[in-house]
Formats: sequence, structure tokens, C-alpha cells
Amino acid sequence: MKRFNLLITAGLLLLMLPVGSCMKYGPSQTETFLPGPAGEGMFIINEGNFMYANASLTYYIPGSGKTENEVFIRANGINLGDVAQSMSIYGDNGYIVVNNSGVIFVIDPDTFRLKGSITGLISPRYIHFIDARKAYVTDLYQEKITIVDPQAFRISGHIPTPGHRSTEKMVQWENYVFVTCWSYDNKILVIDTATDRITDSLEVGHQPTDLVLDRNGKIWCAAAGNLYRIDARSRNIEKIFPLRADGARTHLALNAFSDTLYYLNKSLWRMAINQATTGNTPFIVLDDRPYYGLAVDPVSSDIYVADALDYVQPGKVYRFNPGGEPVDTLTTGINPGSFCFK
Amino acid sequence: MRRFLIPAFMMLLSGFTTHAQDSVEVRQLDSIRITARARLRDMGVQKTSLDSLELRNDITGSLAQVLTRTSTLFIKHYGRATLSTASFRGTSPSHTQVTWNGMKINSPMLGMVDFSTIPSYFVDKADLYHGPGSVTISSGGLGGAIALSSAIPQQDGISLSFIQGAGSFLTFDEFLHFTVKKPTWSASTRVYFVSSRNDYKYINYRKKHFFYDDQGNVSGYEYPVERNKNGSFMDFHVLQDFYLTGRSNGTWNISAWYARTDRGIPLLNVDYKENAGVANNQKDNTFRATAGWRKISGNSKLEVHTGYTYTDMLYQYDRDLGNGERAIMVHSQSNVHSLSADVEGEWYLKKWMFSADISLNQHFVTSTDKAVISVEGEQSLLGYQQARLEMSAFVAARYRPTERLGLSVSLREDLYGKELTPPIPSFFAEFLVSRKGQVTLKASAARNYRYPTLNDLYFMPGGNPLLKPEEGISFDGGLSAQHQGRLFRWSGNVTGFYSRISNWIAWLPTFKGFWSPVNVKQVKSYGIECRGSLEIIPGHDWEIGGNGNFSWTRSLNLGDPVSWADGAIGKQLVYIPEFSAAFTGRVSWKEWTFTYDWTYYSERYTTSSNMTRTQLGVLGPYFMNDIALEKSIRLNHAVLHVKAIVRNLFNEAYETVLARPMPGINYTLSVGIVPLFR
Repeated sequence: MKRFNLLITAGLLLLMLPVGSCMKYGPSQTETFLPGPAGEGMFIINEGNFMYANASLTYYIPGSGKTENEVFIRANGINLGDVAQSMSIYGDNGYIVVNNSGVIFVIDPDTFRLKGSITGLISPRYIHFIDARKAYVTDLYQEKITIVDPQAFRISGHIPTPGHRSTEKMVQWENYVFVTCWSYDNKILVIDTATDRITDSLEVGHQPTDLVLDRNGKIWCAAAGNLYRIDARSRNIEKIFPLRADGARTHLALNAFSDTLYYLNKSLWRMAINQATTGNTPFIVLDDRPYYGLAVDPVSSDIYVADALDYVQPGKVYRFNPGGEPVDTLTTGINPGSFCFK
Repeated sequence: MRRFLIPAFMMLLSGFTTHAQDSVEVRQLDSIRITARARLRDMGVQKTSLDSLELRNDITGSLAQVLTRTSTLFIKHYGRATLSTASFRGTSPSHTQVTWNGMKINSPMLGMVDFSTIPSYFVDKADLYHGPGSVTISSGGLGGAIALSSAIPQQDGISLSFIQGAGSFLTFDEFLHFTVKKPTWSASTRVYFVSSRNDYKYINYRKKHFFYDDQGNVSGYEYPVERNKNGSFMDFHVLQDFYLTGRSNGTWNISAWYARTDRGIPLLNVDYKENAGVANNQKDNTFRATAGWRKISGNSKLEVHTGYTYTDMLYQYDRDLGNGERAIMVHSQSNVHSLSADVEGEWYLKKWMFSADISLNQHFVTSTDKAVISVEGEQSLLGYQQARLEMSAFVAARYRPTERLGLSVSLREDLYGKELTPPIPSFFAEFLVSRKGQVTLKASAARNYRYPTLNDLYFMPGGNPLLKPEEGISFDGGLSAQHQGRLFRWSGNVTGFYSRISNWIAWLPTFKGFWSPVNVKQVKSYGIECRGSLEIIPGHDWEIGGNGNFSWTRSLNLGDPVSWADGAIGKQLVYIPEFSAAFTGRVSWKEWTFTYDWTYYSERYTTSSNMTRTQLGVLGPYFMNDIALEKSIRLNHAVLHVKAIVRNLFNEAYETVLARPMPGINYTLSVGIVPLFR
């Protein structure tokens, strides 16, 4: 009987132990990307979902229509991180600002291979280059703008922004950088790049986000659903294009000549920069839903509208030519939010 | 102290002995009556009951871990003391209604329950009502309902047990249980405390440390070995139960449970911020109290419950700026007071049973975020303050025309605020196919509604007061059988289910720049649930047993596409595995017990379009193996239980949620002491 018991026990134990193991997890494979045609190509920065760490980078060649998704992880074998906010190219380097990971990755824009990273940040949003050794980085949760050395990949200083915890987009006119204060704020700060200190500020509508500079030295800002045209020299608001009853104006972009402004208000709208009113009919009628990003090619003036669909699946980017005709539809990563042209 | 306590309790005991004999008989009669009526009450209902043996497998287990191992529910979590939510049959966590001693404990703000905050040692009985059966407990359980309850202590006289566990990552668990059981009254006191640094090491495959040559080119790399950052936690719970059994005036019970949790929110493995100076944690204080009275007479039962819940939750995310100040990123606080009352009656008339129940819940909620800076640059408050009355009325008629057949029909009606949900009807049927093996067929169908939470309606910014309730219809049918022999005991259950939920509430971005909830999705889910157990008693000192479960769940989004490009229609919901299974094997020989636990989930999609080509869209299948060896040692004045547990036996590196690395092999040694009072 004892022997019988032992046999049963041993048999059951043997059956139990190898029931299952070996989960698929570990290093990601890497690929080699060959440099594409010089001067052509754009990046789409896919935010991913907050706390999902599924941000990604899409590369698109407008000439061939070729799209490569997740190029960062495929080239480097590591994740891009949590909430990729923006990307800018300066010289031979591409700087990807990954907001909730608190890092700026520096890549080769042709091979997508990592060259280095800038850490020590809290919640970085955008990077603006002053010169080869100085760039400003805005932040969602700090009362200061971080100054980084884009060649040494390190922090070199700070610009205090007392009373303004959230700094967002930047444009530069002559030696002055204009910065929107976005989260629960209503200011545009003016920073002197020679002294790295705030010299002035302007009040606009609540939650100013986008900022672009046109060929006439006018700064366009979207805030509280309104459009603001600001004279960069005098720092006066010249004109306010008020919110329409049917929606809010968001996501600004200028064409290659910086003389035509594009914005989203459910559909895609455009206006000449010296136009007195915004007009009554959209340039391109889109489905009546929020869109996630807008960009205009600085060379061809082709227009790109990003659609996050339900925000938890790969998004789409719709490409139109300057005449408003559809050219292409790309599938991107999750929540395509911003663009960077080579 | 013991010298004083024991005689004191002996004196108390002697005072009750005159009634003891009568009370025992009454209790036995009541027990038979209760069992027979429970069979009638649960007729046709798909129900899993977890007893104290399953609930108290080990000291480190929260209810989340127990449910993962013993039920077909999917528990989403990313480690011990992290948000752990339960989904029935492919629905969302807010579709699982939870009651404790008859009082609803789902957060009126969030709609869900975090099962990691419920120590399994604080629950004596857990009944899981799958699908339509949930409407017999509460409305809103579009997936199901879980009824947790305390029970009268089993052991007469005084009993005491103390368990201490010490585990990897400086984790310490302490549990004390003291009970007194007298013929007419009993009391139970439980205290539980756990603290853990929880800073396990892992190889971070999501980051690389690069090495550079003199020209600045990458010459090599390694994956960094990191620690789980900011994951420490400390929980304290105390629960007092008191029962009073009168001879003719019914039974009284009072329970009070205080819980304080202080938990770090671990950083993602793609976070490059330095841990020093970061405070990202959640602190909860919860007090729940219930008082109940129950009277069972010849053909009826009357039960009254009242309850109160207080919760304050503080989530803060701030960082030391290095100059003595802290950058406050989030400082979100909520206070909830909830009052509840419930009256329930049952009447038996030959082959019929009628029941009626009316319950009231009144919530008072204040939710604020103090970290918001106003446009004037000053700190300001953002939030809401709301009160809501919820009422639910339920009537049911159950009929058993023959011993083999049982039929039941019920109707529920809910009021929330000034809104009334449509009627919630349900039908249940049961047929005993064979007495041998107790082969029983069950079928049920129900309509159900879940009204929006207070955050859905009023959260600032984004709350949508125009939301409609979610509406569900569900069906299931199954077969169960069991056998109790001298050498073998087994049971098995197979159920198929189908449900459809419309007006599913989802939070989406708006034109205004913040997120807001809308009634968007329609979800169809169907599948199969199987459960089984087997016990073999081959010899005098031996017991061999095992139980397992398996489920196949298709949970598909059938909402209107947001555009022609929407790839989510007809696809499995995010983070719902199609297959899941668990198995527990147990071999006992004399005082030794060896246990083996195996858990499996199939891959989970992280995108609504179920993209599999992407490296970020899928979490691979999950297999987990844990073992434990336990020995009981009987001493003159106490019984010792020593248990060694090995988790993640094969030292697997894995994530259960994206970017949340889990611990490798880890160990716990626990010692339990039960003094013998003689």
C-alpha cells in the first residue's frame, strides 16, 4: 500500500511540474536601416498611451510613399518610452523628447541609431535650438526651462519661470524666444537668448498651445479656441480671430513660404497670413471628430493631418497636396501627435 | 495575561451553559433549513463558492491572488500591492459588483474595487455570481458579482492564531486572529499588517547602457540591472466581528473594518527620471461598518442590514527640486461617505419561495486636485462635490414543481439620483438529470444596467452629466456533476455564456483639450467556463487533490467605427485574454502538505485593433509556477504551521502589463502558531 501511495504521488508530481513555463520576453531584435535619399523623409512621433510605454517613431518617405513603423525600437532594440512628445533635427542629430520617460534621445536621422541621450529632466515637452551648444527644453511640471548642450548631451543650466509651471511650444524671432505656458495658464513668455532670462510676457486666452512665426514676423497662437496674431517686435496682440460656435481652433502650421496658415477646427482650414477674417468654409472637409496633429511640409507644402482614431490603435495620417487633393494615407503608431521633417 | 483571560472566559462560558443545549439544537435545525433554502435561492445560478481553505492558502495572499488561482475571473495587476481589478467573462472591472456583508463596496467614484486591498484572511466566504446570477445580489454586475462575508467562528471557546511571514524584498506579513465562541454570542478580531520594500532586481530589456569608443561611436552595450523603483508599500487592517444569537429575537451581527494603505506607484521600466526625491504614491484610509439582524421562523426569513463606508484617497506625485521646495505635479484627494440600508425577506409556501429586497445607498463625494495652478499663477482647486441616492428594489419567485425541476423569475428596478433604469428581469432554470453524480443542467438569462459613476458624470474637467446607463443582456447554460465516494471525490462544471453590452462608457479626448466619457461601444462576449476538482484518499495518511479551471472568452467590440479606418471593430478588447487556466495540486502525507500552483493566460492585446505585427501591441502568454511545502507540528500547548513558498519557480522574466517588470524567483517563509487552550 505504501508503495502504491508513493507511486501515485511521484506520478502526480511529475505531471505537475512541467505543465508550462518559458514566457516570451527578453531582448528585442535589431535591424539595420540604410540611409534613405538625402533630404527626403519625415518622422511621425506617436505618443502612445500614457503609462503604456508604447510610444513609437514612424518614418515616411514622401517620394516613394514608403512607411516604416517603430523604427526606433527596431534600430536600437529598446523602447522609445512613455509619451513621445516631439522631435527636432539640428545638424546631423535628431532629438526625440519623450515626456513621461523624462529623456531626450539623440538619434542619427538616417539610420535611426541612438547616439546618446539627455537625462535629468522631469517632464520635457519640446526642444528649441539656439545654437550648436545651446538648446531650450520646456517642461510640463517645472517652473523653469532647462538649457541643454545638444552636442555634449547634458544639462547646462535653467531659466526660471516663476509662477508658470507648464511651458510648452517655442518660436524664435531675432534674439527672442516666445514660449507658451499651457497647463492652466494663459501667458506667452519672452526670453532673451543672450541672457537666458525672461524679459517680457503677454496674456492670451486660457491654455495656449501652438505657436508659429510667419514670414512677416507675426506670431500666431492658438488659445482657448481662438487664434491670436501677435507682432513679434512690439509684442502686441494685433488681432484675435475668435472661437467659432461650432468648435475650437487648434494645431497651427505654415506652408513652405510661411504666408499661409493652416489650422484644425473639426475640418482643415487655411487663410492667408494678412487675411482680415478666417472665412466660412473649410479648406478640406474632414469627419467631424477631433484630430491629433497637423503639419505642412516645409518644402513641398503638402499637408499632413493625424488621426488617432479611438486612441488605442495605430493611427492614420492623411496626406494632401497644396491644392487639397488626397495623396496618401499612412498607418502609424498609436496617437500620432507631431511631425519632424528632415 | 493569559492566566487572567482564560478563567475570565471560563466564567463567562459557565454563565451560558444553561442555554447551550437548546441553542445547539436550534442552530442545527437552522443550519438544515438554511442549506435547503440556499439551494432554492441559488437555483439555476452559476456560482463559485470559495471557502476558508481556498481563501487562506498563504499569508501573503490578497483576494486578487486567490481569485487568480481559484476562479475563471481575469485579474489584471502588475505585482503585489498594485491596482488589481477583476473582470468576469470579458467585461470591464466596473462591471464586477462587490458586496461585503451585504453592503456594496464598489467605489461610487470609479465603479470598481481594488482587490489588492482586501486581505484574503479577512474574508470567510466569497461567492462569485457569474453573469445573470449577479442580479440576485445587485444591479450593475454586467459581468458578475462577488459577495464577501464574515462568518461566525467555527471553534467553540477561545481560539487564537498568529501567523508571521518573512519574504524576499524585505516583505513582512503579520496576521493575528482571536475568536471567542459562546452558545449565544461570538466575537472575532483580526489584525493584519504588511510592509515591503518591494525593490526587486530585474534585467531591464527595455533600456541599454551603451559603450562608446574614442570617436563617440557605439562600441557595445549591456542591459542594465535595475530595481523596482518606488514600489514600497505598507498596509494595515483591523476587523472586528460580533455576533449575538437570541432564542427568538433573531441573530445580530456587527462588523467594523478599518484599512490604511500607503503604496508607492512603481516607475515604468522606460522611466529615465531618477528615483531620488520623487514621491509618487497613493494613501487610502477606509472604514467600513455593517450591522445586521436576521430572523428565521417557520416559513420566512427577515433580514435587515445597515452600513457606513468612509474612504479618503490621496494620490500625490511630487518631486524635490533640490532647493527645499517640491514641484507638486498631482495632488488629488477624494473623500467619500456612503450610508446604506437593506431590508430583505423570504417566504416559503410549499413548492414556492418568494423574496423581496429593497436597498438604499447614499453617497457624499468630494474630489479635488490641489496641484492645479490658476491662470493668475496661484494654487487653486479643481474638482467636484456631489451627493447621490441610489435605490434598488428586487422581487423574485422561485418554484420547484418536482424534485428535479426548479424555475425562478425575478425583477429588479433601480433609481440613481433622479434617474430610473428600465426594469431588470431575470430567469433561471435548473434540472436534475441524474441523481447519481448529481448531474444538473442550469440555464439563466438577465437584462441588466449599470449607471454611470460619479466621476463619469461630474469629474472636473470632463464629467458628462448626459451619460446614459450601460445596458446589458446575458445568457448562460451549463452542466454540473459531482461524486463523493470513499476513495474519490470529484466535481465538475461546464458553462457556456453569451452577453451583449451597449452604451459602454469610455473616456475619450475632446475638442476642449481634456478627456470626457461617452457612451460609445457595443461589446459582445461569449465563451466557455470550466471548473473541476478531484480528491483521492488512497491511504490512511494520504490525501491527493487538485482543482482547476479553464475559460475561453471572446469579448468583441461591435460599436460603430469612428471612421472608415477604424480597425477595432470585431476585435478582442484590450487586455482581455482569450484563454485562461489555473491548476492547484495538493499532496498531503501526515502533517506534510505540498502544493503546486500553475496559472496561465493567453496573449493580451494592448491595442484595440489587436495589432500583432507591432512589438508593442501584444503581451506574450503568461505561465506561472509556484510551489509550497507546509508542515504542521503539534506541541503540548500549541500547533505550529511552518510553510515555505517559492514563487516564479522557473525565475521567469516577464511583464503582465506593458512596461511593468515583475519579480523573478522569490521566497516566503511563514510560521503560524495556534495555542491550545485547555
